[in-house]
Amino acid sequence: MRQVLIAGIGSTPFGRHEEIAIQSLAIRAADAAIRDSGIDRKEVGALYLGNFVSGPLTGQEVLAGLVADGLGLGQIPCTKVEGACASGGIAFRHAYLAVASGMCDVALAVGVEKMTHADTATTTAALNCAMDNRSDGISGLTFPGLFGLAWQIHAERYGTNREQVSAVVSKNKANGLLNPLAQMGATVGADQILQSPLICDPLRLYDCCPTSDGAAALLLVAADKRAELASTPVAIMASAQTRGSARIAGHPDLCTFDATVMAAQAAYAQAGISADDVDFVELHDCFSIAEIIDTEDLGIVPRGHGAGFALEGRTRVGGDIPVNPSGGLLSKGHPVGATGIGQIYESVLQLRGQHPNQVRDAAIGLTHNLGGTGVACTVNILKRTDA
Amino acid sequence: MPIKVLRCEACGALDPGPRDLCVACQSDKLVPADVPGKGTLVSWTTIRRAPTRFRGQAPYVVAVVKLVSGLLITGRFQGAEERLHLDLPVAAVSEVDNAYTFAEYKT
Repeated sequence: MRQVLIAGIGSTPFGRHEEIAIQSLAIRAADAAIRDSGIDRKEVGALYLGNFVSGPLTGQEVLAGLVADGLGLGQIPCTKVEGACASGGIAFRHAYLAVASGMCDVALAVGVEKMTHADTATTTAALNCAMDNRSDGISGLTFPGLFGLAWQIHAERYGTNREQVSAVVSKNKANGLLNPLAQMGATVGADQILQSPLICDPLRLYDCCPTSDGAAALLLVAADKRAELASTPVAIMASAQTRGSARIAGHPDLCTFDATVMAAQAAYAQAGISADDVDFVELHDCFSIAEIIDTEDLGIVPRGHGAGFALEGRTRVGGDIPVNPSGGLLSKGHPVGATGIGQIYESVLQLRGQHPNQVRDAAIGLTHNLGGTGVACTVNILKRTDA
Repeated sequence: MPIKVLRCEACGALDPGPRDLCVACQSDKLVPADVPGKGTLVSWTTIRRAPTRFRGQAPYVVAVVKLVSGLLITGRFQGAEERLHLDLPVAAVSEVDNAYTFAEYKT
């Protein structure tokens, strides 16, 4: 396998884009990524586009080909991939494999979603497509509900309390204030979180990420094209993808996601590093408690200590291991198919030393994207190349 | 009441289903079977914002139960929420469209 670099990045703001068509969001982000790289767009040999529910929510499919056509790319293979909330991460990994394998020298990974125009019932129904609706769905379980189940166990087993979980919300909302792409950065205190309505006990409104519109894109090149690049590239040290149990009944423990644990282990092995070597993490905080569980599953915090680390400020920028300096899904937003690509966009800015919420001396970053009830996961490890 | 599950005729493995192949041995000889509806509570949450088809029922408690046969099943809990705690003994009391409702079971 060849060394692969991220040579260009682009993103729309995450939030509401009611007047912009879904393909236009994707084209704007991808065009920015191509221009950022300095590579001629006719050199792009493959496009992978992550998207979850463009059919049900916008009535538009074949997005990969539409986006390539709009960008003026060649008549190249264009593929849309779907893995619920991990769709973007999976698209990135396929673009990585296309270049690493030698199939092409340049590939484009794009993620996009458009959700905020749809009514809540339509959106909820579309998002619930991500669970096995022949088994878990029939009980009336929802995605927030899945994390309510996980929280109860975490609380019982490790003594995790409301104040600790609220620290995750406050941190990510505050990080989002510094990120111009973020949908809902805010100063939010523990009282305000406690007064927000219950969604599914013990999760309250502030514990849940918003629905969002947005797109992000990355241009990947083989390392031997480095001389042609306009921006300092970031190296992909590892890109891992795993499958976890498709059903709740298959999870031996609801307080951990085996897909994350396995993907992290595979990524650390591929990169030849350990969790201690990571300088910052962009992870899948679809709900506040998810960030606590994810930090434990990724091995960056000892098992059972995720909540304590959050309250003690050890996951803030400036702490032991900054988590979601972008604001994460809770604050930057969660345009589902774009999220995994957006995490890498944020990480590249960190590794270029250009992030609006910069982690000092960041050399190695990790991204984590989880889909469905833990059925799909990607973990990537990225490294700056100028240090 | 008993819970309807699938039993593999080839290897004897049980699965809450639906399944096309046995997860243990990949045989397609899966037949309906009953297992006891008693078990213990693994976790629970009260759903206050429900999917459209369940909206009229909200709020309701979704519970994950570990049956005495070892199978995990996602269903509903009926009863006083203040009684809920991990490992609470429960038993299935009703079924609608393959979704089971559990209640506290006093031994």
